[in-house]
Amino acid sequence: MSNSTSPSRLSFSLDSYAVALALVLALLVRLNLLPPIKW
Amino acid sequence: MAATTTTPFHGVDDVIGLGRRIAALIPGLLLLAAVGYAGKFIEQSIGAYTKARHIAFPNIEYVLWAIVLGLIIANTVGIPRIFAAGVATYEFWLKAGIVLLGSRFLLGDVLHLGGISLLLVAVAITLSLTFMHILGRVFRLKPKLTSLLAVGSSICGVSAIIAAKPAIGADDEDASYAIAAILALGAISLFTFPLIGHSLHLSDKAYGLWAGLAVDNTAEATAAGALYSDAAGKVAVLAKTTRNALIGFIVLGYALYWSSRGQAQAVGNKAAFLWGKFPKFVLGFLLISLLATLGFFTKPQLTSLANLSRWAFLLTFAGVGLRTNLRELGKQGWRPFAVGAIGEVFIALLTLALVYGADRYLYL
Repeated sequence: MSNSTSPSRLSFSLDSYAVALALVLALLVRLNLLPPIKW
Repeated sequence: MAATTTTPFHGVDDVIGLGRRIAALIPGLLLLAAVGYAGKFIEQSIGAYTKARHIAFPNIEYVLWAIVLGLIIANTVGIPRIFAAGVATYEFWLKAGIVLLGSRFLLGDVLHLGGISLLLVAVAITLSLTFMHILGRVFRLKPKLTSLLAVGSSICGVSAIIAAKPAIGADDEDASYAIAAILALGAISLFTFPLIGHSLHLSDKAYGLWAGLAVDNTAEATAAGALYSDAAGKVAVLAKTTRNALIGFIVLGYALYWSSRGQAQAVGNKAAFLWGKFPKFVLGFLLISLLATLGFFTKPQLTSLANLSRWAFLLTFAGVGLRTNLRELGKQGWRPFAVGAIGEVFIALLTLALVYGADRYLYL
């Protein structure tokens, strides 16, 4: 979460980058652009 | 959760700077991956060895191995500076992992368990904030240090302290004491909660809810849940995420209190303040859960997303061990630690009672 009390117009928090990465990965999985991920 | 950053963009120079910053993360990222994977390797090797020789041996999750390996490295050879930036990204992987974990929840489950969590969190936060302030007075701590400890132990650990510090105008020393106390207590919770949960024969859901409600930092709460079982880990993340979602309201309350006493800057736009403090990964988690509920992903795709979440958490657990410096934690004053420790025991007992009540009357 952001530390700033008055976020600037073009600022992004660590949270936003993490959410963006997760959503991109989810989309790649949905479009079968990633091989099945094993554990 | 811990420190967060806000990065304004100003053009091509910033893009080049961003490239350099990303390159600086690589050594630490490799260390996180190596420690996390070593933990997984040890778990699998012990499992295979004991199974092949028909030896009865309890399965020790990779979570514990990764944390212990990290602790050993950080407290013996130490973490050279070149690794520091990459190791600090464990918070980033935690948040990405939580968003991806949304794929393992149907939205109905989120609303049911999240609703119960919200109710319990509201009761627990009210009582624990009150108790922490009484303790602070008894131990004659500075009022702002007490506020930081109360926020840290009631909501979401280090990131709550970092979010509250500028809002209430606390000084660096107070924040350092509060963070050190919360980190030390988080490390203790990590190892004691699973033991207590097993000795009380708590169900996965009840234990997960308890860990999510009582353990301070999100990384430690996730690890404490995963150490118990996979199912408990899921519930712990959901309960902790519900708790995190309330951070803005609590910090806003403290900011208004301290500004009314002329000891912190006035809060202008309250909606912007709340949005600034709101953990955005909660929205990502809900979105992925909604998409999974609507059938947007096939079953193999859901498995892939769940496994991606596990890989992200593997990096997180390695980071939890690597960033815990026991010598630094020992340097803090005894009074903030005592207030934090007594408060933590109170919160653990209170939330345990709430979970027992919820299990009986709200049908977890």
